[in-house]
Amino acid sequence: MTRKLLALGLCAALIASMAACGSSTPATNATATAGTPDKVATGVIAIVDVAPIYLGKQKGFFSKRNINLDLQTAQGGAAIVPAVVSGQYQFGFSNVISLLLAQSRNVPVKVVSNGNNSTGDPKADFGAIVVKDPNIKSAKDLVGKKVATNTLKNIVDTTVKNIVQKDGGDPAKVNFVELAFPDMGAALDAGNVDAIFVVEPFLAAAKAKGWRVIGSYADVDPKLCVALYFTSTQLAASNPDLVKRFTEAMKESLAYADAHPDEVRAVLSSYTQITGDTAKTLTLPKWPADIDTAAVTKLGDLAVTYGLLTAKPDLTKLLP
Amino acid sequence: MTQAVPKSGAGAASPVLLGLIGLVGFAALFEVLPRIGVLPADYFPTTSAIAAHGLALVRQSAFWVSFGQTVGTWALGLAISVVGGLVLGVIIGAVPLLRAATSSTIEFLRPIPSVALIPLVIVLLGTKMSSTLVLVVYASFWPVLVQVLYGVADVDPIARETALSFRLGPLDRVRYLIWPTTLPYAVTGIRLAASVALILTITGELVIGSPGLGHDIQTAYSSNAVPLMYALVVVTGLIGVAANLVTRMTERRILRWHPSVRGEVPV
Repeated sequence: MTRKLLALGLCAALIASMAACGSSTPATNATATAGTPDKVATGVIAIVDVAPIYLGKQKGFFSKRNINLDLQTAQGGAAIVPAVVSGQYQFGFSNVISLLLAQSRNVPVKVVSNGNNSTGDPKADFGAIVVKDPNIKSAKDLVGKKVATNTLKNIVDTTVKNIVQKDGGDPAKVNFVELAFPDMGAALDAGNVDAIFVVEPFLAAAKAKGWRVIGSYADVDPKLCVALYFTSTQLAASNPDLVKRFTEAMKESLAYADAHPDEVRAVLSSYTQITGDTAKTLTLPKWPADIDTAAVTKLGDLAVTYGLLTAKPDLTKLLP
Repeated sequence: MTQAVPKSGAGAASPVLLGLIGLVGFAALFEVLPRIGVLPADYFPTTSAIAAHGLALVRQSAFWVSFGQTVGTWALGLAISVVGGLVLGVIIGAVPLLRAATSSTIEFLRPIPSVALIPLVIVLLGTKMSSTLVLVVYASFWPVLVQVLYGVADVDPIARETALSFRLGPLDRVRYLIWPTTLPYAVTGIRLAASVALILTITGELVIGSPGLGHDIQTAYSSNAVPLMYALVVVTGLIGVAANLVTRMTERRILRWHPSVRGEVPV
């Protein structure tokens, strides 16, 4: 009898402890208390594109606006968007198409700042189509060929399709293969794909091998907006002051980075392993301080054209 | 006895020697293959290039910070699993009612691969160390728990009856009856958990991006720093070897009284 009672007691204790575990997740929120800086977690990807936010943090553009910026690197937008929406991060970095797709699926995201843009020079951009086969002379020759993209149905394949179409090819007849940027060079070398779309620093490595560039972000739009910083609609509504300060700090960081490429190249080694000659020679993106609404609209239209979106995105709701 | 008994002298020395020859041969092979162009040198750096990057790495304080984060996550996760597995295992195993009530739940939860929880922990905890820790604990808890359960079930019925007739209390029964039988099982569980925990620590850092060596591997990978990436991979391998050695040594010490370690035939 005592044994049974003991067993029941243990059962109850176990259930109670499990329940305690379940409810103990604290609802952390970066609500400001006067005087102490707001701790702001921002999800970024450790790539060249986010150099301005690292530089801006170093220069004190965030701390002088009472923001204690905590940069957390994630492996991609797939990890950043849910973490921002759930409030684990206050802000995040994502490419434009991912944000358009998120909005079309009613994910509550709100853009707060520009991210990065094409250099505007098709010969020297930070993301481009690279080929090895001398028979592929221009983008329209990619019809019927295998092209590597980092993610299917996203910004890279949309870019490639548009370049092929502008060159007179049928974009529907380009075959895309999903590969991570770091693996693309090896795949092209081995002949597993016919063309790759790579970004820096892999673009510099591909050019160094003597491979040819046959199209780049700039061919879609000289001002093509590649990525943006965003928050959740919840934070945008509950703490507009914090969002305003973050946006201002980002504007200052972007403008500073755009004007000081040498400092950008130096800051790269603080969060990536891009060092030495690569850091000195790779092509940096453009970092305009303001969002180019026309460029974002164009990407939204292309997303509709190529079937990523079923309806034209409502940019007035997404953009600030 | 006509069975061949291995000569003790040669038998003890040659495995170590052979092991070393194997390692050196492996290293030499991967020095030569990229050099003669069988493997593309851009993606398979030579052993010497990897070693050079490894040596440069250990002189950087940032490397030791990551090293500490990885080993810390691993050790903390393992400790939580071991303590949790031992305590819950002994309690559940000792109470038949509890055991019957939980076995189906355990068999349901245990096969869920820890990495399948990655989206969940990102939403709940973001990409901090705690996310990886959850994965580590989830994966390494089950081997400990299940081994302890087996151990508790293996208690000799006669010893159990004896303990009952001597009216040993619950705590004394755990101490003198369950514990000695369970310990060898638990130690096996802990050894399994140690390697599982390391795998999940690196996986979590690599996939989620929480700080540590796995994250550094990902950063090197996405920065086209190929030899550095291989050097970091080698370091994680060395941690695995070290972890295995430590757990095996501890196993021998804890179980030095046990027939399986003493090497004597039990009567």
